Amino acid sequence: MNITTTNSVTNKNYNMKTLKNLLAATVLLFTCFSATAQTADEIINKYFENIGGKDKLLKVNSFKMNMVTNYNGLEIPVEIFNDKAGKMYVKINFQGKEITQLAFDGKTGWSTNFMTMKAEKLDSETTENMLLQTKEFPDPFLNYKEKGFKVELIGKETKEGTECFKIKLTKTPITVAGKKEENVIFYYFDTENYVPIMTESEIKEGPAKGQMSTSTMGDYQEVEGMYFPFTMNQGGQAMTVKTITINQPVDNKEFEMKTE
Amino acid sequence: MKKSLLFSIISFSALSINAQEITLKGKELFGDLEARQIGPAIMSGRVSDLAMHPKNNQIIFLGAAGGGIWKSSDGGASFVPVFDKHIQSIGTITFDPNNPDNVIWAGTGETWTRNSVSVGDGIYKSTDGGLNWTNMGLPKSERISSIIVDPRDSNNVWVGVLGALWGDSEERGIYNSKDGGKTWNKILYVDNKTGCSDLVIDPSNPNVMYASFWEFRRTAWSFNSGGNASALFKTTDGGKTWNKIHNGFPAGKLGRIAIAVTPSNPNILFSVIECEKDTQKGLYKSEDAGKTWKHLNSDFALVVRPFYFSRITIDPKNPEIIYKGGLNGSISRDGGKTFRNLGAMHSDIHDIIVDPIDTNRIYVATDGGMYRSWNNGSTLDIVKNLPLSQYYHITLDNEEPYNIYGGLQDNGSWYGPSKSDGGIEARDWNSVGYGDGFRVLKHPTKKIIYSEMQGAENIWRYNLETKELKTIQPLQEKGVAKLRFNWNTPIVTGLHNPDRIYAGSQFVHVSDDMGASWKIISPDLTTNDKLKLNQENSGGLSKDNSGAENHCTLFTIAESPLSKDIIWAGADDGNVQITQDGGKTWKNVTANIIGLPKNTWCYHIEASNFAKGSAYAVFDGHTSNDQNTYVFKTTDFGATWTSIVTKDIDGFARCIQEDYVNENLLFLGTEKGLYITVDGGKNWSKFENNMPAVAVMHLDLHKKTNDLVMATHGRGVIILDDVSILRQVTNDIIASEVHFFKTKPFVKEENSSFGATASELEFVGPNPNSSAQIVYYLKKRNTFGKIEMEIQDMNGNKIVNLPVSNQKGINIVSWNFNEKGPKVATGKTLDYSGFTTPLVPAGKYKAVLTKGKDKFTHEFEVINDPKSPVKEAARADQRATTKMLFNKVERLAYMVYEIDEMIKLNGEIAAKDKSYAKTADKINAELNKLKNTMVITTGDNYVGSAEKQLREKLGVIYVSIASQYDAPSPSQKANIESVMDLYNKAEVEFKRLEKLHFSKILEKAKKLNPEYKLKTFEEFIAS
Repeated sequence: MNITTTNSVTNKNYNMKTLKNLLAATVLLFTCFSATAQTADEIINKYFENIGGKDKLLKVNSFKMNMVTNYNGLEIPVEIFNDKAGKMYVKINFQGKEITQLAFDGKTGWSTNFMTMKAEKLDSETTENMLLQTKEFPDPFLNYKEKGFKVELIGKETKEGTECFKIKLTKTPITVAGKKEENVIFYYFDTENYVPIMTESEIKEGPAKGQMSTSTMGDYQEVEGMYFPFTMNQGGQAMTVKTITINQPVDNKEFEMKTE
Repeated sequence: MKKSLLFSIISFSALSINAQEITLKGKELFGDLEARQIGPAIMSGRVSDLAMHPKNNQIIFLGAAGGGIWKSSDGGASFVPVFDKHIQSIGTITFDPNNPDNVIWAGTGETWTRNSVSVGDGIYKSTDGGLNWTNMGLPKSERISSIIVDPRDSNNVWVGVLGALWGDSEERGIYNSKDGGKTWNKILYVDNKTGCSDLVIDPSNPNVMYASFWEFRRTAWSFNSGGNASALFKTTDGGKTWNKIHNGFPAGKLGRIAIAVTPSNPNILFSVIECEKDTQKGLYKSEDAGKTWKHLNSDFALVVRPFYFSRITIDPKNPEIIYKGGLNGSISRDGGKTFRNLGAMHSDIHDIIVDPIDTNRIYVATDGGMYRSWNNGSTLDIVKNLPLSQYYHITLDNEEPYNIYGGLQDNGSWYGPSKSDGGIEARDWNSVGYGDGFRVLKHPTKKIIYSEMQGAENIWRYNLETKELKTIQPLQEKGVAKLRFNWNTPIVTGLHNPDRIYAGSQFVHVSDDMGASWKIISPDLTTNDKLKLNQENSGGLSKDNSGAENHCTLFTIAESPLSKDIIWAGADDGNVQITQDGGKTWKNVTANIIGLPKNTWCYHIEASNFAKGSAYAVFDGHTSNDQNTYVFKTTDFGATWTSIVTKDIDGFARCIQEDYVNENLLFLGTEKGLYITVDGGKNWSKFENNMPAVAVMHLDLHKKTNDLVMATHGRGVIILDDVSILRQVTNDIIASEVHFFKTKPFVKEENSSFGATASELEFVGPNPNSSAQIVYYLKKRNTFGKIEMEIQDMNGNKIVNLPVSNQKGINIVSWNFNEKGPKVATGKTLDYSGFTTPLVPAGKYKAVLTKGKDKFTHEFEVINDPKSPVKEAARADQRATTKMLFNKVERLAYMVYEIDEMIKLNGEIAAKDKSYAKTADKINAELNKLKNTMVITTGDNYVGSAEKQLREKLGVIYVSIASQYDAPSPSQKANIESVMDLYNKAEVEFKRLEKLHFSKILEKAKKLNPEYKLKTFEEFIAS
């Protein structure tokens, strides 16, 4: 009896942990996506032209993406919302329950504890870094100079079998374990289409710190005259976008930390 | 340019009927094919240089002898590789003191010049903390010993180039760049034999530097350290002028000179000197910044093997504490007067660094990895995630999973599995030999392993079952010339007689009784050049007759897979010999190889599987200072040879592997990595997917799995799983939009999920992909427009969607044989059953790739694990029971959904119609009462869990049955009966309530909201 109890606790722990890791990947992916693309100004301008034009992007106040992630053969629906004011959430739908995996109301970042299913505040460093992401909306390359970001064309490289421009985007430094660290993403823009098909960024924590994490994106499709990647993969975790909804307001309650 | 050329070739081949060449290269072809680095890290490998961030003791860079650059961001607890795209032999790493967070310099080419040392290709700089590296020139430097960045100006950089080991070179000397590495000027040059072995700066005055120069040279048969040009120089004007500072040094020839400045008192210098007289060798100290020197000590630990150990490290705070690299490493606490050994660790200490913040902490570079100590080296602990292992050779067996046998530089011989529960960990590797390990062979049929140590000093026969261990090397016999064995002696088991074993000295030795008795079946097959047989005198000022320079010896022996009488032998002095009559007569065919410089080391002969007269020979000229690529093929027993080298290949090659099925598919191991040809050598592609630019010393292809297994000299064993896809690559395929490759049936492996024991700071080698893999070629990446994939049964019913891989070249999509998971009732908590998907039965399936309007279909087969004892009937029972329980899980979910809807609707109706409130409450109470038995409605997912209800009980048994392969056991059946009893009761009560209330509630709800519709079961499942 005792043994059974212990086992089931361990198993639960394991399942919850893997699910949580999976969702962490989801969040990272989103960041990369919202951080769509750019290079030296010419490439960036061409990129904006090819995905529908800067004017259209400037009119975007919010995105809602409904996606599916494939986890161990399970297709898990994920909904991600992100707006100009920095509000965001990532929700999954699992066993009929809508679980807010991550949310930010502009001030407080929080997540749902998978053991208790209750909301808990994110550590202040993570919240601080989330706040920085606000200015990346809807695309970090959009008016990047005003955002204080820097862009550099590194050269050409073959990625995904395809010739690409490698562009380094330096964003506002983030805080990692109490220290300010450079916040750099390398973008690979397909030289034919001028859209990013891959990004690389440094892993900032854990045993893989110092190595690159890679995301790929493709299957660009039109939504209200703009093009967005509908398939993404980060470190083997694949996401497929089903729909993208633009400028649909969301009740503030969705972002506010639930106190139950 | 490259692209347009490629395009024109493709369009040309489309037009021309006879176009044969497969021109798609590396990154555009290999796509998702990825190498698997399995380590091991248990013995790790030689580390040549260490560097710590001057202000942040969390950051350490490590340079490996042959395994690239690794970075630690956790104070040396663990490391990650950051230099895989570039050459892997590292001489020195330096932080820019003005910007140590971002700017790091690396000089390639290890300077510990043993016989097996690799080469570098210049100086590199990173400006982003090691993420990206750029080659900043000095491409022919071969070995860079030192880099100094001016602490006043990051653009001012000095570099010490030791240079070529195997020949003259004018690249040696000290270089200076004033523009951050864009251009370089040589500011000190001695001669083409004497290079800069150390360059150090006075921390208190950057105009003062000390440089040691070393005259040294290796040949394949000898080593010389020392000469009249070796010297120690000083500059006081930032490198403009240099003066010798030998006042107090021994007279005569000098060898390698180590030099260090005391950080806390820069007037105190230490030098370790190799010279003619033993009594004058050792540690020298100057207390006047090099004006005069005093000899302190000639301990063995200080003078041993100067070419291999030459680092002095002085404590950053305490001028009395001095460390010296050596066989064991030494520490002095009295300013160099006396020394004692450091604590127990792997021998051969190349570098020691001291944490400037906590000087008790030291880090040590050895032949067997990196060690860290918290007490100045009294006790030490190895870093467990550095798979820097330096293999010389590997072989494979026929077990499932197969094992990999091989020997390593200074780390003995080992075998370990290609796959293990929880990943391939340190504990999976078994030691089967001492010393330097080379060739390790599994007896083809018996539980016996042969292994060897340097120069065949021992060849062991080890019986894994009885633990019998014997030495069986061929011994000197009366009337036979003195046997000469290479450091890396060839031993081979017979392909036609499993008890046979061959060994090569200058003769071919053969034993048909597993090494108990030997006979010589050849004359001396080498050039037997007496000028190359004076190993006793090797070493120069410090005699070094380790056996590593033994020469005019056989190095490779190959028995033809098609005839036991055809045997090839290749020698380190360039000879290639063949017998076609089992050794009665031998023919020297060396002279028939046109284009091969004389005496170029024959590293590997591969006898072909396709024709008796066919073979490949690979020659390595680097020990004659020739880094060209030499690979030849013969089809007529060596009478004529054709070079199969193209300009695609960069650097010298060592080994080749022919495919067993497609004669044109060849794999070539070179100093800089792996090259592959699919057209018999007309075009070669470098394989770089998770494959570092590491020296590949040997490779082998596993016949059952088609895995290419590589012995690398610095990154352990690297496997390219199942290369059978590459057999199929043709021009037609490359011209097609989409092409599915044929794959063998996929095995639904029956494995446990147990096994992992390693902490996150230990290296664990990944297992091969055990899913079904849908492999296809895409002519172009699908960047715009929709692309999707689904798996269907043979009737076209969808089983699951799969995420698509979408690159130009070869794509692999994995499917773990799962169907979709069940829809689970919504409760307060999450249930396991929702994480568990049934697996499909064995059979044929279809993968359907949809790209825009086009559909591409591929059929493949799934089979049960042949090792499984489970019978077909039991599988059918398991499957039917799983299906039944799966359906109940979903039916229950639907009942709970309906109940939840009714409760919700009741609430809404009552809110509008107060008169209904009481009825609603009553009905809802009944519904909730039932629901509370169906699913957990309180508690949490951890120890606050509530009592299990029907969903949870059903879930437990569903998960058990769905996760097993066998039929439900009697106990499980009894449990199912009990759960079904609960289920049926719940269903009866549900039906009663449904009949009583649901239609009425729905009627009322429709009035409130005509749009409302209760989902059907099918709609609910799909939602």
